[in-house]
Amino acid sequence: MTKKEELTYEKAMAQLEEIVQMVENNQLDIDQIGEKLKEAKTLIEYCKDRLYKTDEEVKKILKS
Amino acid sequence: MQKPITLGELNTLVRDTLACAMPDEYWVQAELSEVRTAANGHCYVEFVQKNPHTNALVAKARGNIWRNVWQLLEPAFERETGQRFVAGLKVLVLVSVQFHELYGYSLTVLDIDPTYTMGDLARRRKEILQQLDDEGVLTLNKELELPALVQRIAVISSAGAAGYGDFCNQLQANREGFAFYPHLFPAVMQGEQVEPSIIAALDAIAAQRDCWDVVVIIRGGGATSDLTGFDTYPLAANCAQFPLPIITGIGHERDDTVLDLVAHTRVKTPTAAAEFIIGLAQETAEALGDLSARLSQALAARMTVETRRLEELAGKLPTLFSFARLREEQKIAAAFLRLTSGVERITQRGQQRLYTFQQQFTLHIRTCLLREEHRLQLLAQRAHSADPERLLARGYSITLHHGHVVKDPSNLAVGDEVETRVEKGKIRSIVKNTSPNSSQKGECLAGCSPSEKS
Repeated sequence: MTKKEELTYEKAMAQLEEIVQMVENNQLDIDQIGEKLKEAKTLIEYCKDRLYKTDEEVKKILKS
Repeated sequence: MQKPITLGELNTLVRDTLACAMPDEYWVQAELSEVRTAANGHCYVEFVQKNPHTNALVAKARGNIWRNVWQLLEPAFERETGQRFVAGLKVLVLVSVQFHELYGYSLTVLDIDPTYTMGDLARRRKEILQQLDDEGVLTLNKELELPALVQRIAVISSAGAAGYGDFCNQLQANREGFAFYPHLFPAVMQGEQVEPSIIAALDAIAAQRDCWDVVVIIRGGGATSDLTGFDTYPLAANCAQFPLPIITGIGHERDDTVLDLVAHTRVKTPTAAAEFIIGLAQETAEALGDLSARLSQALAARMTVETRRLEELAGKLPTLFSFARLREEQKIAAAFLRLTSGVERITQRGQQRLYTFQQQFTLHIRTCLLREEHRLQLLAQRAHSADPERLLARGYSITLHHGHVVKDPSNLAVGDEVETRVEKGKIRSIVKNTSPNSSQKGECLAGCSPSEKS
């Protein structure tokens, strides 16, 4: 999967959208679904963290 | 030569002459180059006229707005224009011309027409916008897309102003608990320093543009202040071409400033700017929620389909199995049938051949027997015809000498007794003469003829 530092919110959303579409269009077989689901969960977690959790690192960088 | 007069006398003369020659009040168009309200409540201004092309001063005059007039005109002007009466504005004023012995030439302002100033400001804004449009940059900032997540907010505002505080409070108090990172880039938000200080702040932000999602320019405070600084071409050009989306909340109730018009999004107050950004985060969160929901739905639907498929397959299995078994059984039966009939065919063919062989064999034996019988008959016939008795019966005779058949007379001597056998008996004879015959057959006949019986 994409490395954390390279991942952006937009990329995460785009990947998520792609996964959702693949599931909706039955493009995945059951074995793949499990893996993609894990990926989607990670992406959702990532997006939620970005939305709701104040990142002290970001704060520090922006204050400097 | 005229008797010299004092300066005071001269100035009095000028004053009287002017008052006499120009007793009327005049509506005058001019630009304010200086406005100063003194502690005593009077307002002192300076009017100028510039060459529109070179900007060089063409005319200049001092003006006084006495306290009693100013107290009425100032609020009326601000109410009408939403703009303070400051240097840089073009104004239409009703004046009377004065000359004071000590202070010289001045204009006393009796009235101000705010409509003229508004029209001028509007025209100036229009010109700036037209220029930006001609240069193709007018809508550049509006065309920028807001990032999916607007969190890192570069705020341009005056440091101690209530506006920035309101903005930050509003952001941090958002009910959903979104994270935001506002950071202040201080700038002067009023007066002549607006343009250079905002441009400096924009430059500072642009230098680290990757750190920021959006720029917010806000200004709190009263409704009236000098906003002409927001209506300059350099500032508008800077904002229009800025690489990050700009949100303005300059708090101007009346007309939009040029800055508002070129910005990506324009709201009225700092609080509204914060609300707008919170709204963006809400949209983002909703988009994420939608995706999660769609994922769950799609998964549930997929699982239902798969379960049904599995059940269908499981249901079909016994039938399929019995079908297969039936098919195999049929195959076995067919093979058995073929085997049996094959064996039968082979047996039949064998029997057939055996039968044929038997037939042929019998025929062959019979033929052999017949042939042998025939041969026997022939032999019997031949045996029968060779019987000496039959010769005797036909008249032939056999002569014997000492029991031996006599075929050559030279074997006999005269006087030998010979025995002749005929059909019905024997004749004993004595040889009188023997002679071999020239014709063996004739002699024999003569020698043994039954007529020569002895």
